[in-house]
Amino acid sequence: MRRNVLLRLFLAAAVLCILLPAAVLVLWSAAARWSWPSLLPERWSARTVRELLFGSQDLWRLLGSSMSLGSGAAGLSTLIGLLTARAVSLYDFPGKGLVRFAGLLPLLIPGTVFATGIHLVLLRLGLADTAAGVLLVHVMTALPYSISILTDVTAALGGALEEQAAVLGAGPVRAFFAISLPELMPGVLSSLSMAFILSYSQYFTTLIVGGGRVKTLALVMVPYIQGGDRSLASVYALAFTGSALLVSALFEALIRHWQKRGDRL
Amino acid sequence: MRKKRTACLLLLPLFAVTALSLLACGSVLAQSLGVIPAFGLEEPTLDYYRNALTSPAFHSALLVSLRVALLSALAAASLGTVLCAALVRVCRARGAMVSLIRLPILVPHTVTALFAILLLSQTGLVSRCAWALGLIDDPGQFPQLLFTPGYGGTILAYLWKEVPFVAYFTLALMAGVSATLGEAAENLGASPLRSFLTVTLPLSLPAVSQAFLIIFLFAFGGYELPLLLGATVPKALPVYAHLAYMHPDLRQRPAAMALYGVILLLSAAMAALYGLLTHRLLRKIGGGR
Repeated sequence: MRRNVLLRLFLAAAVLCILLPAAVLVLWSAAARWSWPSLLPERWSARTVRELLFGSQDLWRLLGSSMSLGSGAAGLSTLIGLLTARAVSLYDFPGKGLVRFAGLLPLLIPGTVFATGIHLVLLRLGLADTAAGVLLVHVMTALPYSISILTDVTAALGGALEEQAAVLGAGPVRAFFAISLPELMPGVLSSLSMAFILSYSQYFTTLIVGGGRVKTLALVMVPYIQGGDRSLASVYALAFTGSALLVSALFEALIRHWQKRGDRL
Repeated sequence: MRKKRTACLLLLPLFAVTALSLLACGSVLAQSLGVIPAFGLEEPTLDYYRNALTSPAFHSALLVSLRVALLSALAAASLGTVLCAALVRVCRARGAMVSLIRLPILVPHTVTALFAILLLSQTGLVSRCAWALGLIDDPGQFPQLLFTPGYGGTILAYLWKEVPFVAYFTLALMAGVSATLGEAAENLGASPLRSFLTVTLPLSLPAVSQAFLIIFLFAFGGYELPLLLGATVPKALPVYAHLAYMHPDLRQRPAAMALYGVILLLSAAMAALYGLLTHRLLRKIGGGR
């Protein structure tokens, strides 16, 4: 029992460490004056919120470009992940180990090297400094996670149900959409959510491959963090983290909805 | 036969993406050997590597990156394992606590850097708490963690993200082992601590060690945290390399690429070494498959 007390204390410390920064972020973004050593801001102001909404950066355009890049990357990464997962779990072919390794490869290449190298490749393909190039790199960054999530669920489901559907006369496409896809939905949603968050958070890849032409919230936020205005940095970080968590929570709710639906059937 | 062809078709996009990744690494390595036909450089040479490897600035950058990666990964793997054990033992690996643990994994490194600035700087919240507790009378007395050659703030910021990552990464395996073999050991009379140390922990090591490799390589090649929280001198290796890459004189390009080449080759070497070591170690403990 005593050990559980220690573990509980450890958990409590972990919760504090996770939540405290978030609370401080909210306080700083609304603080007009918060000098050392006050534990709470001395004066409040909505200056940062005005700056965020109507200031030098066009927030809605930034949100729009970040969200569309994220959605595009999530969709493509999940699609390629599904195709790869099917090939790896439902088909027999030589060199499967190599295919699995290829799926993980982008995780093993250091991010700075990957971004710089892929920029050189995209320069030759004419895709450097374009939104399409940035989208491609975001997909590549998210793909290992999509493949890993979707291979797990596809292997767990197996191909037997689709074979039954085929025996009963369904074509392969119909068998997949009517039988397998609904069962795979929780995995598909996790993959979409993960890939979205990864794309939404990209800084270095967008900076290098977008060449400053493709602007996202994650990219524009960094100079504020480097600058001295803690309140302004906090309000951008809050807008970024808040919007990302909102999307993540939406996916969580969808996943729970699908799991409940599965339980009812 | 048909089946093989279908599998090949399904794998086409992965092949294309893998080819792009390999081309990316190949381009960096080619330029690091001084082969940039567009600049009229066509003879491959190891000179750029020789120059990089003998420069004192490179040595200190390499040391910074190795130190940050090793310390943060070791501490995160240990604390993450304890956190995972706490989640398994206290929360049965479910519920709100597990969702909360995912939060730092979702927060990007740039925002984590801002958290470090707001909390750990000499006028940050931790320093204010130290004043409230009567430990210091002046912000100057609070230890400098940020923008210093010790990279303490960078390591702590990595920990904030990586401890939950290790716990989350290990959770499924440890929960499974604990619910089966761990309980069996306790039913046979082992104390919870003994059952954890002799049964659950060794069998969870494959996940812990994989998580260790992932976070070590990530911190070694990471750019954002040392850029935003590190010292001006010495710089971390990726920050140093990117600065060299941004040099306006394009003839400096191969020298910058040699730095990226070193990061790439060292990461690959460490991954390979890790593969060999853990393979043996895990087989010895009996936790490997």
